[in-house]
Amino acid sequence: MIPVSVITGFLGSGKTTLLARLLRDSTMARTAVIINEFGAVGLDHELVETSDESFIQLSNGCLCCNVRSDLVLTLGDLAARRAAGTVPPFERVVIETTGLADPAPILYALMTDRSLCDVYALDGVITTVDAVTGMKTLDSQAEAVRQAAVADRLILTKTDVPETQTAALRARLAAINPGATMLEVVGGAVAPAALFDCGFYDAAGKHPDVPAWLAHEAHGHVQHHKDDITSFCIVRDQPLHAVTLPLLLSALAENCGADLLRMKGLVNVVEEPERPAVIHGVQHVYHAPVWLARWPSDDRRTRMVFIGRNIRESWARSLIELIDSEVANEIARRGEVATV
Amino acid sequence: MNAEVVTFLADSLALWQVDGTVTAGALPVVAVIRAGDCTVWVEQSTDDAVPWRWFVRWRDAGMQEERSRPAASLTGMLNAARRALNVERGNALRVVAIAAGG
Repeated sequence: MIPVSVITGFLGSGKTTLLARLLRDSTMARTAVIINEFGAVGLDHELVETSDESFIQLSNGCLCCNVRSDLVLTLGDLAARRAAGTVPPFERVVIETTGLADPAPILYALMTDRSLCDVYALDGVITTVDAVTGMKTLDSQAEAVRQAAVADRLILTKTDVPETQTAALRARLAAINPGATMLEVVGGAVAPAALFDCGFYDAAGKHPDVPAWLAHEAHGHVQHHKDDITSFCIVRDQPLHAVTLPLLLSALAENCGADLLRMKGLVNVVEEPERPAVIHGVQHVYHAPVWLARWPSDDRRTRMVFIGRNIRESWARSLIELIDSEVANEIARRGEVATV
Repeated sequence: MNAEVVTFLADSLALWQVDGTVTAGALPVVAVIRAGDCTVWVEQSTDDAVPWRWFVRWRDAGMQEERSRPAASLTGMLNAARRALNVERGNALRVVAIAAGG
């Protein structure tokens, strides 16, 4: 599988600077880059130096609006050319969205298109936030809030500028998305290892961002704020029955719809106590659970992070408890029937 | 558990952005939802009704007769309640398999 990372962030927040700097790193040599530009004349691709042809510019509108026709075709074409040997054998894809893109449709396409899923796996979402203008942007631009909400890595840029509001911005971003790792980056200078390999898809046993999720847990209660985003972490001591998971995910998809921006979970399953299942989804689309080879620490509690609008923690907690209780009752009933 | 279901359904109304109330009912009715001119009774079934664990009955001003729908799970009960309240909500779950070969 080829990991795909999405770099998003509002207009002028430093996406291109970050990407340009990343591509200078030798470890990024086998990276294919897709840059989406909004407007008749694209400029961003001129700002990113590259020496190979694994570099594609999409200029006919916003990626999230044309995601089927452009991104899917582009990724499919890249994979075919890679297989045919007409492009270098890239080992990673990085997509830079426009500043106006809602990341969710892009993530859908990466997760659901059958032709892409055989070749690519979503690695993570990297969102840049301008430390100078970020607070105002979050106040006025719903897309900026969504970009922050779905991030796995939140990159605060321009933190070296004197008039930044870094502390307040960090607090606000932590409230929107406490499960993301937050980094301050000046001039795009950051090691690729800090941004990539978020570990959601890696069947080889790489652990997901459990420390970041635990940071979320440390907040202790639901985070509400004026962006109308609610985020919370549900921690459960008792393991869940395996059958509970599909029922739970169905209920989340059918009842929350677009209000559930992101959900991630590390789940202790009754039937597989020695290895946790990693689940994650965007709105109603989920990856099949990935089973880690072992627990990343001695903490074997189930932890689920929810980021969404208008979703009460009490609702999610009861949903989990009621479904698992129902499943347990059914298992017990069948056991009784079998012994009759 | 019945009190938890009542609270859970009240939270569900908020999630669905439906103005309404949820009160406890007389068994086997676990909860009564009132929203606009529609009343929904949520019943928990007895073991005799297996595989149905829930029955959802509803009636609104435009209906000649009460309607009902059985559900085998809490998830199904929520679907039936949403349908009774004419809530257009959410999408069917999509689970994406990750191809082998890591």
